[in-house]
Amino acid sequence: MIRKEAMGLILKKIKSEPIISANGFISRDLFELKEKNSNFYMIGSMGLSSSIGLGVALKNPKKKIYVFDGDGNILMNLGSLTTIGTLKPKNLIHVIFDNGSHESTGGQPTAANQIDLSKIAKSLNYKVYQVKNKIQIENFYKKINSITGPIMLLVKIDKSDIVSKRIDITPPQIKNRFIKSLQN
Amino acid sequence: MKKSFQIDLFDFLVKNDIENYVGVPDSTLKHFISRALEKKKIIITTREEEAIGIASGMSMSGSNSVVFMQNAGFANSISTITSLTELYEIPMIFLIGWRGYLKNDAPEHLKIGKIQPDLLKIIELPSKVLSEKNWKKQCIWALKKIKNHQPCALVIKREFYD
Repeated sequence: MIRKEAMGLILKKIKSEPIISANGFISRDLFELKEKNSNFYMIGSMGLSSSIGLGVALKNPKKKIYVFDGDGNILMNLGSLTTIGTLKPKNLIHVIFDNGSHESTGGQPTAANQIDLSKIAKSLNYKVYQVKNKIQIENFYKKINSITGPIMLLVKIDKSDIVSKRIDITPPQIKNRFIKSLQN
Repeated sequence: MKKSFQIDLFDFLVKNDIENYVGVPDSTLKHFISRALEKKKIIITTREEEAIGIASGMSMSGSNSVVFMQNAGFANSISTITSLTELYEIPMIFLIGWRGYLKNDAPEHLKIGKIQPDLLKIIELPSKVLSEKNWKKQCIWALKKIKNHQPCALVIKREFYD
């Protein structure tokens, strides 16, 4: 399963819930698969999608807040897991698409295959679920409403050379429509 | 800046609807930070960029933040400030403790302290230096900035070396 496929399966379960997506191919895939006002495409500031998501989750406790992250991104901001695990937002669903590589910059390896992200996250108070195919994603969604967050959904994916189009909305536009969507 | 002024500064910002105080501790700002801890309005993060990310999420949810840090941490955050805060025009007030303002400060602060005003200028982040006399006026300036959706910085000099 490649990222775009896995993301597509998860997006089938998401209606208008806010999604904060990491820079690079993750945001581009999201833009191509399910463009909506409640997507915050973080085009720079690598590593920070989970921090932005934490801020949004804490201030919108009645909404489910998704972060679409990558292994390279989260390894750049592992401290974020500590802060999330301390503040324990019940409504945060932290999805990590893990291909063990920095695909957006040419497929260089990350350390994700040599360490255990799930153990790190568990020790930091996350509820961790690992999936690698459609059935496991379906099973996760059967029980999602009974799980108190923060949730980490670790999605093991294969590398791919499919590249989605660039985001053609300006950053202030992305922000303004995201703000409006949160007010609904 | 003396303890009483730092407490007044915090209370004034709270009174003016700054709800969140997110950042990495700095000794120059310790009384301000202690007050925020006492009032349970604080999130201490592992790095400064993380604080900027959290404040961004809160700001977009209609809740304003001060992001506090030492100038060394400000230098760490320059790419995040330019590619998130400024690029998306997300309002927040940076409160920066300025080590290396004194020429006899600890050696690790001297080089970065010397270029602190230039760093602010180069990234075009509007800023004011606070003193015990002018802090209220500068805070009003900062509050007006964020009301107009512009990020800005308030700087507190480290005027003693212990």
